Amino acid sequence: MTVELNGTTAEIVSDEPLVIKNLKNWHHTHSYGGWGRFFKGLREGKLLATRCVNPVCREKRLWLPPRCDCPDCWSRMEWTPAPTIGEIFTHSTVQYPGALFRADPPCPLISVSIDGVCTKLMSYLKDGTPRIGMPVRAVFNTKKPTNTILDLAWVPR
Amino acid sequence: MIKFGPGNLRIPRFQRPVYVVAGGMTDFRKRYPEKNTCELCTEALRMAVEENDLKVSPEEFRRSVNWCVYSQFADHFGDQLLAAAKVHDYLGFDPLGNIEVKTGGATGGSAVLAAAQAVASGYASCVPVVGWERMDEVSTKVGNAYIASAACKDFESELGWMYASYYALMAQRYQFENEVPRETLAKIACKNHGYARFSPYSQNPGDYTVEDILKNDIVSDPLSFLECCVMSVGAAVIILADEETAFKMTSNPVQLKAICGGTHTLRTADRRHMPILLLPNETEATYKDYFNGKRNEWPGFSSFLAARMAAYLAYNMAGIKDPVADFDLLETHDAFTISDIQTYEDIGLRPYGRGREFIDSGDAYFEGRLPTNLSGGLIGTMHSVGATGIFQLAELLWQLQGKWEKFHADPERWARYGKTKPKDFRNLQVPNAKRACAISHAGTGSHVTVAIMERASR
Repeated sequence: MTVELNGTTAEIVSDEPLVIKNLKNWHHTHSYGGWGRFFKGLREGKLLATRCVNPVCREKRLWLPPRCDCPDCWSRMEWTPAPTIGEIFTHSTVQYPGALFRADPPCPLISVSIDGVCTKLMSYLKDGTPRIGMPVRAVFNTKKPTNTILDLAWVPR
Repeated sequence: MIKFGPGNLRIPRFQRPVYVVAGGMTDFRKRYPEKNTCELCTEALRMAVEENDLKVSPEEFRRSVNWCVYSQFADHFGDQLLAAAKVHDYLGFDPLGNIEVKTGGATGGSAVLAAAQAVASGYASCVPVVGWERMDEVSTKVGNAYIASAACKDFESELGWMYASYYALMAQRYQFENEVPRETLAKIACKNHGYARFSPYSQNPGDYTVEDILKNDIVSDPLSFLECCVMSVGAAVIILADEETAFKMTSNPVQLKAICGGTHTLRTADRRHMPILLLPNETEATYKDYFNGKRNEWPGFSSFLAARMAAYLAYNMAGIKDPVADFDLLETHDAFTISDIQTYEDIGLRPYGRGREFIDSGDAYFEGRLPTNLSGGLIGTMHSVGATGIFQLAELLWQLQGKWEKFHADPERWARYGKTKPKDFRNLQVPNAKRACAISHAGTGSHVTVAIMERASR
């Protein structure tokens, strides 16, 4: 039996020390699982949160990002629309994003506080200059969705 | 809100004392193609075994080891699953048992915690803790995306793929709530780049002014490049032992009095407010006027519950009443200037809202009340992630043993790494240092360990 190599070669970056390029050309298939409902909601212009329905659970507020299961009592949660207005809790404009970022910098990232929601959702400001306390409303990327959290953004109101 | 039950705040106990007998490290570089990961780990272990004045030969040491703990943050950086098995084999420790620990940026601290648990329980008597990170196989931009995959990939990572931004969000809020001058944050960067100038191991030393830091390019406002930790390649080792083994190996071991861990949500977004968990040097009165129009919740975006939790347990475990008075040295996980100032408050160096005073008062400097990050920290010297928490303890070990000069001042050591010792070299040995503390920190505060070491005598 003779084994022949298939002809592909590892590109040399440096010969001393010997450094080669290892290529990776494949993708991961990632399931959102139960959170898919949230991302499909964004495509339809809806902001969906979850709430614990266990009557003895102390946390009555909405979760956004949604959780399918309550971290306080491990009960299943129910889905419900969240308010689509809020205030900027904090912000930072990213100038040098990491390699996978799908927008051109600078991009103002924001955390949004929303009445009745126990979390402060991270998102971005689509228009305007962010400041803490700025009233904002949600906008949805329904035309050509990325099917990621980037389909939700906020604008001043 | 987190409501603690009676079991949640139990103070940990070691069944028997745990000692640190030796430390070792490589130098740290942005790219280190000259040495592969196995070689780097061997270099750090060799230094620990051969250069710490041990009373046993390397061969006797090898025959004393009965458990190994490995510390690497990110398999995707090293591109080698089961890298610990490869390193363990390369170090010649087969067929002894080992475990690899991963908790993000706190991996080093958690690895030491796991090793301490083994020694304290009697499971093991001599444990090398070996940590490394190989961050140079990808570009910086891809490296930042890799690091950001330690944020929530469903709801956060896509927003910038940049960890500095997640800290910058906290920085903006912290500044809004506490009106900390921008210069105070910059001073932390000046300090740590400055101390890194006196470390032969350091990757990013520099003599910067506050103005230099503020004029530097912004990564994500308000944080500039010089206020962010380096991305490093390198390794670090410490060796833990029980009392009998420790004193057999060295005449001046250091006792690991406590090492404890805390956590908080991976997503900063999910941090619900709760009452402040008080440290031994705080009372309800400390926070009588804490909440005001700008700040109405804790921990919010300005504080790390994980650090507070770990400090609460470790201080109570080691009998610490007042950290600034009780510690002679501190190493914080200064991944970003903002996280450093937040940490000062979480570990009780100042009450919440007043962290800036720890810098502005001069306390944090050499010859101050609690010299902090004399190693150069993550901003000046290294953040080869799996090695970081171990590097901190090695530096503190040498300080407590009075060996700082041995490991930093020798021109030959500088030459070993192709460097020249600076002409204005400064001796940073803290005289008669007795007790030191190190903070290892992950995520935006997802995991934190607090370690307390004390000079031992018998």
